[in-house]
Amino acid sequence: MAPEDTTPPPKVVCTALAKTFGGGTEAVRPIDLTFAAGRTTALVGPSGCGKSTLLRMIAGLEPPSAGTIEIGGAPPAETRRRAGLSMAFQDPSLLPWRSVRGNIELALRLARCRVAQSEIEQLIALVGLDGFADTRPAELSGGMRQRAAMARALATRPGLLLLDEPFGAVDELTRSQLAQDLPRIWQARGTTTILVTHSVSEAVCLSDRVIVLSARPAEIVDDIRIDLDRPRLETTARSDAAALLIDRVFAALASGMAAARPPVAAQ
Amino acid sequence: MTGAVSGRVDIRSGTGRIATGPVPGVLLILAAWEAGGRLLTEAFVLAAPSEVAAYLVQEWALMLRALGATLGNAAAGFAIGNLAAVALAGIALIWPRAERVVTGLALFVFCLPLVATGPILRVFFGPGAGPQIALAALAVYYTTLIPLLVGLRAAPDSWFDLVHSYGRGRLAALVHVRAMAALPYLFAGLQIAAPAAFLGAMVGEFTGAERGMGVLTIRAIRALDVEMTWALATVATAVSILAYLAIGSLARRILLEAPPVILAAPPAAGGHRSAAWVDGMLVLAVALGLWAGAIRVFDLNPFFAKGPGDVFTALVLAPDAADTRAAIGEALAETAVFLLPGYLAGLVAGAGLAVLLVLVPAVAGIAMPLAIALRSVPIVTTAPLVVLLLGRGATGTITLVAVMVFFPTFVACLQGLRQAPGQIMAVLDSYAAGPLTRLVRVRIPAMLPAFFASARMAVPASILAVTVVEWLATGSGIGSLMALSASLSDYDMLWSAVVLVAALSALGYGAVGWAERRVLARYAPEQIA
Ligand SMILES: Nc1ncnc2c1ncn2[C@@H]1O[C@H](COP(=O)(O)OP(=O)(O)OP(=O)(O)O)[C@@H](O)[C@H]1O
Ligand SMILES: [Mg+2]
Repeated sequence: MAPEDTTPPPKVVCTALAKTFGGGTEAVRPIDLTFAAGRTTALVGPSGCGKSTLLRMIAGLEPPSAGTIEIGGAPPAETRRRAGLSMAFQDPSLLPWRSVRGNIELALRLARCRVAQSEIEQLIALVGLDGFADTRPAELSGGMRQRAAMARALATRPGLLLLDEPFGAVDELTRSQLAQDLPRIWQARGTTTILVTHSVSEAVCLSDRVIVLSARPAEIVDDIRIDLDRPRLETTARSDAAALLIDRVFAALASGMAAARPPVAAQ
Repeated sequence: MTGAVSGRVDIRSGTGRIATGPVPGVLLILAAWEAGGRLLTEAFVLAAPSEVAAYLVQEWALMLRALGATLGNAAAGFAIGNLAAVALAGIALIWPRAERVVTGLALFVFCLPLVATGPILRVFFGPGAGPQIALAALAVYYTTLIPLLVGLRAAPDSWFDLVHSYGRGRLAALVHVRAMAALPYLFAGLQIAAPAAFLGAMVGEFTGAERGMGVLTIRAIRALDVEMTWALATVATAVSILAYLAIGSLARRILLEAPPVILAAPPAAGGHRSAAWVDGMLVLAVALGLWAGAIRVFDLNPFFAKGPGDVFTALVLAPDAADTRAAIGEALAETAVFLLPGYLAGLVAGAGLAVLLVLVPAVAGIAMPLAIALRSVPIVTTAPLVVLLLGRGATGTITLVAVMVFFPTFVACLQGLRQAPGQIMAVLDSYAAGPLTRLVRVRIPAMLPAFFASARMAVPASILAVTVVEWLATGSGIGSLMALSASLSDYDMLWSAVVLVAALSALGYGAVGWAERRVLARYAPEQIA
């Protein structure tokens, strides 16, 4: 995996970004956010607060109601045109008529990206799907499908990786295994990664920074730098430093929920 | 916008424990048929399988020539009709706002009575294969268009997001997602279209072709040749079932699964009533415009090519307009006496038997594959048999209409009953609900969309059946009136009848759709969204 043939990781800048849906649902309040190049940022927040919406706006799949997004100085559409980003969706969105390998190959084709077959095999093995390369999604479990979608997202060597609860349906043990293995890839490549997750410990252990969002409409409750040593191991999650950070995230989540109850209480 | 009413039938495993395939059913039918034939030799109505086989061996050269001619026409019509369907679906895809008009217009054309369009096309094309091919194309395009439209919308949004997230546009989405997702639906449509094309070609041959199965059928009826009539119907049935199975196996090879058993797209959910009216008027305006335009552009002889104005004159303004209206009204009333009981009997029998079979799953294992195969039989080609067996009176005609409606309804309902959501069944199981409760609370509501979809499609089909019998055999009703007007060159009458029948047929389709929305809104609201 040679880092030199990937595009340099972009910085992502959101300015006064907001989204109100047609029906009047305000999913994201005007928000300013900068995601540093080559770093991993976790977004945590209560269900339905607008995390997926934020991610989809960054991917350019959802037009913002207000504000701008710049990925490495260019608008999302430009980045997509260069196949500079990839997204692992909350539901795995594998095409049912293609095998695991076929789905990965389709992504490569769509991204106009050539990769050696051996690298595809490597990725499939890395997400723990060896032996299932030629299996169709219908015959995979929910967690296996998510892992296949993850492999697909990584295959195109994107500069920006958007992960929407990539391990939601994966069991605890496999999850912590993946949480150790996968970040090595994107960190070795220096990929800018934005990770949405419901697991607070995962958010802390995987990322360089955790942003805690309030209940809908999403606003930033807390912005926490994670300076745990890398590489992070299984033991990291149980260290005192991690425990402190995890407590802080939980506290922020709780205040974000409480603040949301009266309509506009957050400062 | 609208969900697909579809399901999958896997003959190998879908029937559960008792997956016997069609063989026992076929053997049973053959045995009963042979016994009946032996018993009724004196009555000149039924030829036993052995007699049919003997006839086929003796007359194989004649049969083969006729079959070749009909197959050629059917294949040409099949290709043209399906290409038209794909083109229409393409228009609806590129320009979604046109979809309602496209489907409305397509439905109206589908409702044109083949019995009358046949003679008209014969005058246009003169001798040759033109009418056969045109009727075959007309018989198939709608059965392909509707599933295709459903299929093209069958892909969830997130698949398109995937394509867009790699910076690719609608073309890549069409190639990699939409077309692939629509393939099973396309195959399901083609599977029904193949026998329909054969039927269309035969009806076209009824109008005075030189060669083909339809020509022989007319000859056999005129000569009261029982063996020949049965032999022709047997060959038509066998060819249809083979075409159906061949496309099914091709689909399984390509898709690695059986195509869904498609019924029809559910009607567009209520929405804006005024918009529906506007669309309806638009369809009418476009239809009238195309009709008048075609006559103008092709510079057709005004003696037989009547435009909308001529029909209006004939029905309203002409001095003998009252007579024309009375003649058509009388014929329609005669037809209604056969049509409505047959239609209702077919629906009730189809749905009723499906419900019964669910309660006795052992029989369903035998009946289902057989019914799926028989659904592909162009029932109309067996019209001469039914009339031979049951006479030229009401019983024969009503039975034929009922049979025409029965098979698709039965297959659709059985499919709907099977589709009862497993999770809800599990919930009921946890309350130890008996089979009757499960049937009433879960299965029948799950069956309703399938039932109504086939009830809608059965409206034009039953009109086709009744008019063909009237034309070929009974000599009464609107079918006979249209045939008579054609042979007397009374084109004002013919065109007026065609327009009224098509309009009534489309209205009937709309009325069933209206009832469907009301019932579904009450019993299965999740089905219309
Ligand atoms: N296409 C849409 N149209 C209208 N409202 C929408 C749409 N998509 C999302 N919403 C609304 O926006 C809000 C935020 O949705 P979003 O999917 O971003 O939440 P989320 O934070 O990802 O939740 P979860 O953690 O459960 O996935 C929700 O209230 C949802 O109902
Ligand atoms: Mg989400």
